Amino acid sequence: MKEDTRKALKLAGLASTLGLTIVIATFIGLALGLWLDRVFDTSPWLTVIFLILGIIAGFRNFYRFMSKRAKE
Amino acid sequence: MEHPIIFLNLLFEKLGLPIVHDFTHAHTFLEKILLPYVTYTWLIMISLVILVKLTVRRIELVPRGGQNVFEVVISAIEEFMVGVTGEEGRYLFPLIGTLAFFILISNYMGMIPGFFGPTANVNTTAACAIIVVVYTHVIGVKFHGLKYIKHFMGPIWWLSPLIFVVEVIGHIARILSLSIRLFGNIFGEELVLAILMVLAGLYLAPLPIMFLGLFTGGVQAFIFVLLSSMYFAGALEHAH
Repeated sequence: MKEDTRKALKLAGLASTLGLTIVIATFIGLALGLWLDRVFDTSPWLTVIFLILGIIAGFRNFYRFMSKRAKE
Repeated sequence: MEHPIIFLNLLFEKLGLPIVHDFTHAHTFLEKILLPYVTYTWLIMISLVILVKLTVRRIELVPRGGQNVFEVVISAIEEFMVGVTGEEGRYLFPLIGTLAFFILISNYMGMIPGFFGPTANVNTTAACAIIVVVYTHVIGVKFHGLKYIKHFMGPIWWLSPLIFVVEVIGHIARILSLSIRLFGNIFGEELVLAILMVLAGLYLAPLPIMFLGLFTGGVQAFIFVLLSSMYFAGALEHAH
C-alpha cells in the first residue's frame, strides 16, 4: 500500500468515529448526572452539571483530534 | 419471526442439550453458555488455534503456502500498528493481532448461511472493548508509574478536578463507542439481510447487501484495530 493511501485511510477511519464519540460522551454525562441525582436526592442540579461536563468531554475529544491533525 | 437455521444449535439439539433460540428465554447456566454467540466464539477460537498450529508446524526459512500468507498478513498488521504507536509499542502486537483476526473472522462468519457472527451481539464487542480500554490503563501505569495520573489532570492545576471528571467520562465513552460501533454495523447488516429475505424472497435479492457486508466487516475490524492502537499510543506518550 502506498504511504498516501494509508494516511488517507487512517484519517477516514478516525474521522468516521468522531460523531459517535461526541454523542456517547454527552449521554454518559447525562446518565451519570441522573444516577447521582437519584443517589443524593439533589434533583435537578447534578443532572445539569454532569450533562454540561459530558458535552465538554465530547468536544474535548474533538478538539484533541483537530489539534493533533493541525500539528502534522 | 422465524428463527434462522444455525448449524451448531441443530447439532447440539440432536445431542440432547437444551437449546433456546432467544437469549431472553435462557435461564439456566447451561442454556446461557449454549447460546449461538457463545458457541460460535468457541468455534472461532478453536478454528484459529488449529489453523495456526497447522501452519507453524513446519516453519521454513523460505516460506511456502500457508506460512507465506500468514507472514504477509501478520507483518502488515504489525507494521501498521508500530506506525501508530511508535517503536516502544511493538510488544503490544499480540493483543492487537489477536483482536484483528478474531473480529475479522467473526464479522465474516455471520455472512455464511447457517453460521452466526459473534460480533452481532453486544456482549462480545463489549468484552473486546473493555479488554482494550482496561489494558491501556495497565500499560500507562506500567510505563509512567504514578505520573500516569497527570494524563487525567490537564495543564492547569486549579482546573484539574473538573478535567478529571471530563477525562473519566471520555474514557467510559471510549468503551461504549468501540463496542457500539462494531455491534451496530454487524447487527444492522444482518438485520437488513433478514428483512430483505422476508420482503424480497429467498433467491439473489440479499446479494448486494452481503457484498456491502464484506466491505463493512473489513472496515470495522480495521477501525477497531486502528482505534485500539491509537488508545495505546495515547497511554504511552507523555502528558502534555
